Amino acid sequence: MGRGQGLLTATGTAVEAQERAHLSEEARRARRRARASTLGLASSPVGYLVLFFLVPVILVAMYSVGALTLLPKDEYLSLQPWRDLLFGSIYLGVFWRSVQMALVVSVGAVLLAYPIAYVLALVAGGRKYTLLLLIIAPFLTSYLLRVLALRVILQEEGVVNSFLRTIGALGPDQSIGWLYNSRFAVYFVLIYVWIPFVALPIFVALDNLDLALLEASSDLGASRWRTFRSVTLPLSMPGVIGAFIFVFIPTIGEYITPLLVGGPDNFMYGNAIQGAFLAGFDWQFGSAMSMFLVLVVAALIAVFGRYLNVRTVSE
Amino acid sequence: MNAAVSEGGRRALWSLFGFLLVFLYAPIAILIVFSVNDRTLVSFPWEGFTFRWYRTFMQNSALLLALRTSTMIATVTAIVTVALAIPASVLFVRRRFFGKPFVSALVLSPLVIPLVVFGIALLILFNTLAIPLSPWTVAVGHIVIALPFAVLTLVPRLERIPAYLEEASRDLGASAMTAFRSITLPLMTPAIVSSFLISFVISFDEVVIASFIAGDEPTFPLYLFSQLRLPSRLPQVIAVAVVVMLVSGVLVVASEVWRRLANRRLERQLARYEGEEAVA
Amino acid sequence: MSELHDSAITLQDVRKSFGRVHAVRGISLEVFEGEFLTLLGPSGCGKTTTMRMIAGFEEPDQGRIYLRGRDVVGDPPNRRPVNMVFQHYALFPHMNVEDNVGYGLKLRKVAKEERRRLVGEMLDIVRLSGMQRRSAAQLSGGQQQRVALARALVNRPAALLLDEPLGALDVKLRKQMQLELKRIQHELGTTFVYVTHDQEEALSMSDRIAVMNDGLIEQLGTPRDIYEHPLTPFVADFVGVLNAMRVRVDEVDDLTATMRVGDGERVVVPVATGASTGQELMAAVRPERVRIRPAGEVAPAGDGSLVHGTVGLIVYLGTLTQYHVDTSLGGRLIAHRLSDDAATAVREGDRVVLSWDRGDSAVLGDV
Repeated sequence: MGRGQGLLTATGTAVEAQERAHLSEEARRARRRARASTLGLASSPVGYLVLFFLVPVILVAMYSVGALTLLPKDEYLSLQPWRDLLFGSIYLGVFWRSVQMALVVSVGAVLLAYPIAYVLALVAGGRKYTLLLLIIAPFLTSYLLRVLALRVILQEEGVVNSFLRTIGALGPDQSIGWLYNSRFAVYFVLIYVWIPFVALPIFVALDNLDLALLEASSDLGASRWRTFRSVTLPLSMPGVIGAFIFVFIPTIGEYITPLLVGGPDNFMYGNAIQGAFLAGFDWQFGSAMSMFLVLVVAALIAVFGRYLNVRTVSE
Repeated sequence: MNAAVSEGGRRALWSLFGFLLVFLYAPIAILIVFSVNDRTLVSFPWEGFTFRWYRTFMQNSALLLALRTSTMIATVTAIVTVALAIPASVLFVRRRFFGKPFVSALVLSPLVIPLVVFGIALLILFNTLAIPLSPWTVAVGHIVIALPFAVLTLVPRLERIPAYLEEASRDLGASAMTAFRSITLPLMTPAIVSSFLISFVISFDEVVIASFIAGDEPTFPLYLFSQLRLPSRLPQVIAVAVVVMLVSGVLVVASEVWRRLANRRLERQLARYEGEEAVA
Repeated sequence: MSELHDSAITLQDVRKSFGRVHAVRGISLEVFEGEFLTLLGPSGCGKTTTMRMIAGFEEPDQGRIYLRGRDVVGDPPNRRPVNMVFQHYALFPHMNVEDNVGYGLKLRKVAKEERRRLVGEMLDIVRLSGMQRRSAAQLSGGQQQRVALARALVNRPAALLLDEPLGALDVKLRKQMQLELKRIQHELGTTFVYVTHDQEEALSMSDRIAVMNDGLIEQLGTPRDIYEHPLTPFVADFVGVLNAMRVRVDEVDDLTATMRVGDGERVVVPVATGASTGQELMAAVRPERVRIRPAGEVAPAGDGSLVHGTVGLIVYLGTLTQYHVDTSLGGRLIAHRLSDDAATAVREGDRVVLSWDRGDSAVLGDV
């Protein structure tokens, strides 16, 4: 039928011969336009971060090897600051102390946050998101103010001690010393600060569990403890590890809390870096210390990065 | 029966939950209580109810100046951060390109860098470029650390907005920019407001970076720091702390609640469109 | 190209690949003004990609696209005189019906009063009068469908592109909307290009159908052409139910090839040219042309095909009853008959005789 076939009818076989797609001019232009627009979108955020994030960090690295110095020097490019840091100083000890702090805080926060996340995700039912918000809310307020609050509570003339004195448990000049200006204080405050934050990714991991798995385990004869050990815990472990890493990494460099409640004996790596820059002017040594920390952090992320599911933070 | 907990377990867990909840809020509550204690030391015994600490801090011009400085920095931070986060989120959700994982890592890396290191890095940068330290330099740093949070807030929302809405808009005659502005952007509003508030709060509260690059005008947290050596100042510090905490807490919680509700609403609207997935 | 002004859309050897996937491998097609043309095919055949290239959301790697005689390759979607109805309707959830439908008009700076009038008119045509104030998200599926239609049609496009618009509706609503779409198309005289994988839908609605497979058009024709004279095995199999059987030619005369099977059984197909004895062919016949009678009845006279078999399965479909019959040809032949009283006389397990006219069978593929 004449009209029914139209102008041309497609046949198929000749097409097979094409190896490389030969693009028309418009197709090429369209692809170019798409690429330009993507570049345009990327330019401001990426440009900003390169200028104000990557470049500064690179400058620190340069300082650490003497490629840049604060004051003009006779010779540049020396690894002396690194040698000083790694071999000649007390700062490695300070570093390990900070790592220990980070470890204790992370473990403590996770241990306390897990039951919270568990009860919210698996027991709370409809009210879970409201209760979760209740737990998270303190974290969303000021970090500094919460540390201050605890300092005010824990210090010698603070709430706890004055309360105990008022009720007579302590004499008028006595106070519980280890509450403040102590390692305990640093750990206590940091765990307190981090619990709400840690609860969130663990909650998400538990919330995403298919309840059917727990029911199947129970159906097959496991007690609830057994179910927890064999099913719930392993399945939530990636979320737990992610939360742990997410606390651990920043806490190594923590310096505000040690400064506010730790006292002189609890001088941490972050304090050391700050001291090198603001008190002394040994920018090179300070940069070496900083780069050391950055390298450790980078190594941790390289190893544990896959547990850092950042999406859970955004939810 | 609940496969996750036994009756005894349930009671134990809820008790622990209650205890931890009290534990988390107790310091805040204690602060509130002592902010109205008529005593120059923040400690027992109770000496009467008073609002004088609130009045005192409102007359403390240095404090008010610091509050103003922080508010300005936080506002600038929030605006610029959101302005950068919107194209970044579009980039991640709607575009494919070479090197995407690297760009994504770059945008998220401020989350993991130790703030101390970043603070001194910026100090070095401004020193090298001979830029004097000021609230602006502080804002520059705050924008960097707020950006990942803003992007992480915008991306999930943008993902829930189907691309075919913008396509329909362009099909009806809108340019790509108009389509984005009239369709996608309005639908992103709850997340945009959320990112704005989050960036604001992050900046307002931030102390580490500010301690390195603040220059002569202290931010509110830096001012608080400077007052800690003076015990007589403590009550008004507590009072203002209470105010700031309550305000920021309420704002952020309210925006989160709104964001969640808006997300659910969008889900429902789009679910009606898509019905049962048709076999393509 | 003098014929171009009669066609709303012309595609010339359009090709598109995504990486190593060749979605569209050379499509040429002319869509006439005012016609309802359907692109029919399974998932992945390239029909949606073709439609998106017409709309401007993808650019062809090669080939040209003309809309009412104008070359539009390279034009962004907002500058093409076609509008699309999306599979998921794509109504703007934050606007009401009036703002949705009037969106395109507003972009073209049509005055408010005029806009209101045009929107009202179009809502009348799609039978949604008075719904202007309703929020788009509160409508039922069928209503959203109509709003999407109105939103596209109010701009009086050169052609309306519909991407499987009825897929999300339940069967009853779908049949209703099919009639509605035809009615609206006739009322407005707009060219409709429709994409679907549902061959029944295509047959019932289209003026012409382009059956697509693996990036190419296998056949283009009216529904009757496609159904009754499929040109390729794919088309024959995709559209409607088809009995296909492999036969070896035993006798040939000028117009007929015959295969002898057994006692009095034969399969007869008309052939155009060049069949030879011993050759293998694929013969095909539609189930509704196959007559089924209990064995033992007098064999019908005639020059058609005749096959014995045993009823393996009976499927009752309401209007029709389907008989799946095991035959000596290997495999099952399907016969349809209207569900009348005589039909119930045949039971599963019965021996039956299937017969069909010579003219009702066709050869698939070569020859």
